[in-house]
Amino acid sequence: MARDSVVLRVDAVAKSFGALAALAGVSLTVRRSEVFAVIGPNGAGKSTLFNVVSGLHAPSAGRVVFEGADITGLPPEVINRRGLAKTFQITNIFPEISVFENVRVARQSRAAVSGRLGSLWSLPDVERPVMELLEAFGLDERRHQQAQHLSHGEQRYLEICLALATEPTLLLLDEPTAGMTPGETKEATALIRRIAQARGLTVLLIEHDMSVVMGISDRIAVLHFGQKIAEGPPEAIRSDPRVIDAYLGGADD
Amino acid sequence: MSSARSWPALVVLAALAALPLTPFMTKYYMLLGFDALLFGAVAMSLDLLMGYTGLVSFGHAAFFGLGAYATAVLLERGVLSLWLGLGFAVLVVGLYALIVAYFATTRRGIYFALLTLVFAEVVYTFFRYTQTFGGSDGIQGLPAPYLWPGLAIDTPARNYYLILAYLALAYAACRVLVGSHFGRVLVAIRENEDRARFLGYNVQRYKMGVCVISALLTGLGGALYPGRAAYATPDLMLWTVSGELIIMVMIGGLGTLVGPVIGGAFFIILQEKVSSYVDWYFIVIGLVLIAIVLFMPRGLFGLRRLLTLRPWRATA
Repeated sequence: MARDSVVLRVDAVAKSFGALAALAGVSLTVRRSEVFAVIGPNGAGKSTLFNVVSGLHAPSAGRVVFEGADITGLPPEVINRRGLAKTFQITNIFPEISVFENVRVARQSRAAVSGRLGSLWSLPDVERPVMELLEAFGLDERRHQQAQHLSHGEQRYLEICLALATEPTLLLLDEPTAGMTPGETKEATALIRRIAQARGLTVLLIEHDMSVVMGISDRIAVLHFGQKIAEGPPEAIRSDPRVIDAYLGGADD
Repeated sequence: MSSARSWPALVVLAALAALPLTPFMTKYYMLLGFDALLFGAVAMSLDLLMGYTGLVSFGHAAFFGLGAYATAVLLERGVLSLWLGLGFAVLVVGLYALIVAYFATTRRGIYFALLTLVFAEVVYTFFRYTQTFGGSDGIQGLPAPYLWPGLAIDTPARNYYLILAYLALAYAACRVLVGSHFGRVLVAIRENEDRARFLGYNVQRYKMGVCVISALLTGLGGALYPGRAAYATPDLMLWTVSGELIIMVMIGGLGTLVGPVIGGAFFIILQEKVSSYVDWYFIVIGLVLIAIVLFMPRGLFGLRRLLTLRPWRATA
């Protein structure tokens, strides 16, 4: 096999903020082309895990290996250029420029001229890939609108477009359906699954809503108080007593 | 820059070039025109930072003053070639800007502004108290530079055309820059620099780049100043000058390039006209500026919408 079947390996990663141990030795392995979900109640350490993997925080201990290379503690822009893109739980877009310009600035990051002297006077033509992305998410009609004027659901889609525009091999989605209605959630989940398959993407997904991940994930890991308490296919997770316990709050005592 | 979109700029340029042919343009107005266009161009350079990248530099006067001292030092020693002066200014201002940009861009917001201010104050103090450069008097009584031997920039009209050429070239450079790959990243940084990092952009490198470019354009403007004034003094680097540049950008219209040119020219002409009548001219200017900021949030250039009746298009 030309490429390793393991895309991401998180190895005993710990992260403390002062006395608070947000992550206490979490390990997981994400295989190529799978949709891997990390679930857990609020405050379980899911977002911290993402922040460590994507480079926002350096871990207090442990290693993150992406495509066979150690990326522990590298800054976000370097990790992104290696092919790992992240969306944000709280919509994080460029509010006062157009939808098209939002995706353009993301897509041109991968243009040949990016980072070279020529980028001072030339503008790479990325209109086609940008429009393809916008069409896939039904945002093409809205491309001239300022991003801040999109509806919440549309902004969530734009958020994913920005990440996809950097042509990642691994896509990290932090609660992609946060704030969506049940109908929108269903539609969004199906769309994410479809696009991941079409692009051969590996997806690592965070959710606190169990029903969202059951339908689209190949494997699920459950975090609770900074520790992984279970991992397996959706059916196994659904009936795991430790998971049910954690979600019902029984683990407090 | 497409030719269809650049024609208004060319018309304005032609009008400015024709201005000295009118009987109204005395030597006094020629020099006032020089100052207006010079500070317009410098404010436009600052707009690259303020309007496009969202960085407020409170130390641009130091880039201007260093450029002025660079040519002044050479003129004083009999090196009269303008090109050598400009080259030396690029070297000096570029080096200083690299240092300032390296440190200032490690911080954001008010801390960035504060660092640029502190660096500028250090430079001001150095020239103010170093006798080699004339201390508080600066370098006075300088000869005029020449474009080539035999063509000295020694009349108000020649100075006026020189500064007009500088403004035109600086504007073209800025226009190309903000339309480029680099320019789009600057806007993304202004909008949301954290997200720009997660799209693979080394934000600090982009900020340093635009700081140095803005500083160089400002320094080149400063380098042309001794040819008109025959001096360079530390007062050119005073923090109040940096503050005035910020005001020029604000009243002209952030993130428009043309706006700050208008703002700079407007400020200089207003200051000159009011101060010739009253000593407390800054009160009058201040009231005008407050009115502009309160009632024209897009600045003077925002008024163009009244003329064209076109809807506002977002800068992007």
